Amino acid sequence: MSLIIIILVIGLPWVGAGAVLLAGDAHDKLQHILAVAFSLAAGVAALLMLPYTSKAVVISLNAGTVYGNFTFVADGLSVFLSIIATVIGSLAVIFSTNYMKGEAQLGRYYAFVLFFIGAMTGLVLTSNMLLMFFFWEITALCSYALIAFHNDDPKAVRGGIKALLITSVGGVGLLLGALLLFVYTGSLDYNQFLANHSSMPASVLGVLAFGFLIAAAAKSAQFPFQTWLPDAMEAPSPISALIHAATMVNAGVYLLARFYPAFKDVLYWREAVMTVGVISALLAAIMALVATDFKRVLAYSTVSQLGYMVYAIGAGGVFASQFHLFSHSIFKALLFLGAGAVIHSVGTRDMTQMGGVGKKLPFVKWVFIIGALALSGIPILNGFWSKEMILEAGLAGGSKVYYGVMVFVAGLTALYTIRMVWMVFYGEPRSEYHAHPVGLAMKIALAPLALAAVVSWLAVGRFSILLGSSLPYHAIEPFGLREMFHEVIALPTLIPLAVIALGILCWVFRSKLSGLAKAFDWMRWLAEHSFGFEGINSGIVKATEASAEGLRVTQTGMVSWNLLAVLATVIIFFTLFAIGA
Amino acid sequence: MTQIPVAFVVILSIISLAGVGFYCLLATRNLIKVIIGLQLMIKGVAMAFILGGNLTGQLNLGQTMALTVIVADTIVAVVGLALAVQVRHRLGTLDIKALSTLKR
Amino acid sequence: MVYVLVAVGILAGAILAIRSKRLLISAIWLAVTSALTALMFYLLGAVQVAVIELSVGAGLVTVLFVFAINISGEEAFDLQPVMPKPLAWGLIVIAVGLTIYLTIRGGGLALELQASADSPTILWSDRYLDILLQIALIFSGVLGVLGLLSEGEPKTQKEDQA
Repeated sequence: MSLIIIILVIGLPWVGAGAVLLAGDAHDKLQHILAVAFSLAAGVAALLMLPYTSKAVVISLNAGTVYGNFTFVADGLSVFLSIIATVIGSLAVIFSTNYMKGEAQLGRYYAFVLFFIGAMTGLVLTSNMLLMFFFWEITALCSYALIAFHNDDPKAVRGGIKALLITSVGGVGLLLGALLLFVYTGSLDYNQFLANHSSMPASVLGVLAFGFLIAAAAKSAQFPFQTWLPDAMEAPSPISALIHAATMVNAGVYLLARFYPAFKDVLYWREAVMTVGVISALLAAIMALVATDFKRVLAYSTVSQLGYMVYAIGAGGVFASQFHLFSHSIFKALLFLGAGAVIHSVGTRDMTQMGGVGKKLPFVKWVFIIGALALSGIPILNGFWSKEMILEAGLAGGSKVYYGVMVFVAGLTALYTIRMVWMVFYGEPRSEYHAHPVGLAMKIALAPLALAAVVSWLAVGRFSILLGSSLPYHAIEPFGLREMFHEVIALPTLIPLAVIALGILCWVFRSKLSGLAKAFDWMRWLAEHSFGFEGINSGIVKATEASAEGLRVTQTGMVSWNLLAVLATVIIFFTLFAIGA
Repeated sequence: MTQIPVAFVVILSIISLAGVGFYCLLATRNLIKVIIGLQLMIKGVAMAFILGGNLTGQLNLGQTMALTVIVADTIVAVVGLALAVQVRHRLGTLDIKALSTLKR
Repeated sequence: MVYVLVAVGILAGAILAIRSKRLLISAIWLAVTSALTALMFYLLGAVQVAVIELSVGAGLVTVLFVFAINISGEEAFDLQPVMPKPLAWGLIVIAVGLTIYLTIRGGGLALELQASADSPTILWSDRYLDILLQIALIFSGVLGVLGLLSEGEPKTQKEDQA
């Protein structure tokens, strides 16, 4: 039974992609309906997989002696991530029916979205490293194609290529790891690797661990690879919600969580992971504080929250990080879709030109506020519980300095969130804009997410049992509501709560604090120039182009020179034979 | 004279033919000379095959391979010369440096 | 002894073929080299291939060259080669020297020629793929030549109509 469900979960979106392309751009209503139908079907199939979660191998296709078996395992981590991918995917598709109404080339759009959803579920459901790499690269391709969807806009194309190149660097790290795994254990199945990881020589294990860290950092836009995510905001908002908030960027965190049992004893790996997470969180929060583009603030916020998850994994709290991943997917998708509704209706992404939108779009205002409260970590909403659990895990497993920094970042999170909400929804309109009302499909997509942001934390008990029973190497204990109350509603939680309150108060009294803000103008300048990382990026691009231009002299196009090169190589080889044979 | 083994003389001949042919490919600017150089090199190759067949006793195998090589090289010469004629007719020159249009 | 003479003749013919200033003379020397090569093939015992090499290399190819050279006309031949001559010469000499050294080290001096077999056996007795390959080659060569030779006026006519 689970065999059929897995095939449905991966296959339905792909079949849907083909169906949408076949329907043709002339029948765009049909394309909308097909896309929604197939993505909803995939979501239902993923939900149906819940009772069948186990660590047993479900599908095993023999692919010859070289590649071993193409295995698919439906354990807790896989099922939970595929549910997120398909359910949030279907909500994003429903949102798209209104957002992309009247756009050209819908077939390309929906086909890539569905292709992406199928590839993401395949990525998490497979236990063969080569297949994982294959799906990883497919998600990178779909991300590029969707960021550059408006391919007559040079900014969008540049953003897409930047995303593709940086995540492909990460993909190299993953491929290297897969190959090393194959060489040293003889099979590409990571469950076998997790079972006896100590049989690998320590140096190889170290290379594997840091290679995967690079792959995960590139995919999840962590330091030092964080520059692609803000530029990827040229994509349509449902895409930002699906790919760059809820699913693809989670692949890096998934990779780290999956391989944590094997790498946790590698020298300095956990410290490196925590450092990457903390730096990303801090830098991104500061940059979010000064950004004026509505979606860029959310992009920086994504980097920052992913930094929290990476930090939690480094500190040993794998369950806390996955729980925060769950909450973050929900509220970040909510925030992006809400932002998409606002941008679609107002017509600009620049927050300095908005203001007072809440009067015109009250529904969006309220759901956005729910998402913002969850992001800031206000009690009762799901963001509060998961963020507190991460901070507890960090306190227990990491250094106090990092804990202090992460608490400070929590305060910064509250500050930039309330700044964003205030600038957009409250106050007086700062420019003449015409806000046309939000369509029904958008409201249908936003409402379930808002509801989930309020109540999803109640599922923590079932969630921990799901993960704990099917991941034998991760040592996750059942963690019910009572344990969560006990852990979170305790003294150490008051410190972050106080800092969050301080952050909110800072905004409310911002006019009185303007003198303090002026003192930090140098920091504002640094943040607006993204702390030099954009400069590094463009420097690398220029250097590559210059060296290519310089090396052009070797490509003369004349046979004589090429033959000379052949002759020189022959001489080198013969010399080597003469000496070494 | 009789101390120099005959097979070695043949090997020397092969190597020298290949060397001369390669030099011609390296140091000429006329398209037709390039084809002449190719022909010389391939004669050396065919001779190598024949010699190999002789040394291992499989004369027929050596001959078939040499024949394949000769046929291929003849086709190359035929098509190459037709090309050279057309190039001269249309572009007016047979100089390989002038014909190379890669941006420098 | 005969072998040595033929080898020296081949070398001389090749060098003269590439060094002569006029293309027609080069083609003639190429024909001489082909003939001597055919003689060498015969001495090594490959009778059928010797005949084919003589007729194709010294006959067909030479005629083709003369034909092509006459049509395309001769050019001024005092152009400098693309790369400095000493560089090319030097590398060739090094490569040849290395090859000879490796041959000697691999026991090249101890090889013995077999006496030529008397019984003419069937060539290609079990190499059908070779026959297919050569048929395909000849076919494509003919097509190529036809295509090349027919590139002429029709193109310019199309340009006039466009």
